Amino acid sequence: MTFFTNVWSTLSKYYSFFLEGVQNTLILAFFTVLFGTMLGILLAVAKLSNFKPLKGLATAYIEFFRGTPLMVQLMFIFYGLPMIGVTFPDVPFIENFQRFAAGIVAMSLNSGAYVAEVIRSGIQAVDVGQMEAARSLGFKKSQSMIMVVLPQAIKNILPALGNEFVTVIKESSIVSVIGIADLMYRTNGVKAKNYKTLECLFIAAMIYFVLTFVSSRLISLMERRMRRGHK
Amino acid sequence: MATNNAMIQVQNLTKKFGKLTVLDDISITFSKGEVVSVIGPSGGGKSTFLRCLNLLEEPTAGHILFDGVDICDKKVDINAHRQKMGMVFQQFNLFENMNVMRNLTAAPMKIKKMPKEQAEEKARALLNRVGLIEKALSYPSQLSGGQKPRIAIVRALMMEPEVMLFDEPTSALDPEMIGEVLDVMKALAESGMSMIVVTHEMRFAREVSSRTLFLESGHIEEDKPSHELFEHPESPRLVSFLRKVL
Repeated sequence: MTFFTNVWSTLSKYYSFFLEGVQNTLILAFFTVLFGTMLGILLAVAKLSNFKPLKGLATAYIEFFRGTPLMVQLMFIFYGLPMIGVTFPDVPFIENFQRFAAGIVAMSLNSGAYVAEVIRSGIQAVDVGQMEAARSLGFKKSQSMIMVVLPQAIKNILPALGNEFVTVIKESSIVSVIGIADLMYRTNGVKAKNYKTLECLFIAAMIYFVLTFVSSRLISLMERRMRRGHK
Repeated sequence: MATNNAMIQVQNLTKKFGKLTVLDDISITFSKGEVVSVIGPSGGGKSTFLRCLNLLEEPTAGHILFDGVDICDKKVDINAHRQKMGMVFQQFNLFENMNVMRNLTAAPMKIKKMPKEQAEEKARALLNRVGLIEKALSYPSQLSGGQKPRIAIVRALMMEPEVMLFDEPTSALDPEMIGEVLDVMKALAESGMSMIVVTHEMRFAREVSSRTLFLESGHIEEDKPSHELFEHPESPRLVSFLRKVL
């Protein structure tokens, strides 16, 4: 039972560290999901376009970012780019903006590639006959997309997109290596103070689990509400 | 062939998928008011031919003139022409995300800017005609196999097309459903609608359509008034085809 007593004492003494970590993890995940989705939509549109160079570029991007580790991408942006003079500006009043910006950019670039594939496959899973029927009535391609294909694609996209959001929360723990004070970074900090390695990691795991569990519940709730809209 | 009231003129239409030639240098004219059946073995290019007429398939070579306008010309607004060519698909392709009423009113409202009340009134009138008024608020997934094609026909009619293209509208149906769909098509033909129908229903071709084409291996092997084609088939291929299906 000493384990749980230690967990309790660690929490009561260092809870503000963990809380700050959670806060930063959520901020990171929020912006990653936001920018990643925007990028993903653009990439998916590019990949589905008939304009070959655009399509090729999007495909290359997606393959590259899915085919290399996030860790490498993060290091590349935070340590590599400044070597050739590319740095993020420091913004007054926001502590560690440089690190945060690098973390969000790396995660968004990475997540965008995955989101693009989720969106593309969701759109392509809609029967081509739906688009053809709309075109045969005289709808433009863009109108057919918006009125007929996308509303059906959303049902395919949303669950997979939800998984991606949950993944982002977990993957964000990687940014601790460039010194962003996220949950993992703070956990390591507490660990170094009280040497209760197992207890600290247990707390971190629990917090991550609650975060991902709650968000995946929220997403499936949203899904169900959308499905009620139309059969 | 009457060309003075020609509606669709197909000139040297060729369609290839990669190396496979599906349609080989087809030229033919369809006039206003004609009901034409297109018959032939599977894989002979019937559906591809029909889909070329409204450019759902882009011809590899040749021209298609609709009301005298070459719709293969890139400068021509194909969407404007498609509004005048209703199409009924083999799988019907009703919009799954909309109920029947919205399936019917979406195009007239969005494209022709018809007011909602007017579009819905028109939809109700047509639904009454095909006996499906009680399905107005159902979704396509709630319709039976025999109801879907009738809704698909009504959806196309909502745009008041000059011609209706049917791509094997009964081949995905259970036998007992086929009759009610053919009845609707027959009534449509009798109302004077121009129709081009790709079909396996030889009775429809023979009794309802005024003219029948036999399309095989990318060629129109025979093109005659229906009763003549069925009673006096000339080409050996048509003879053997009819022997198999009749």
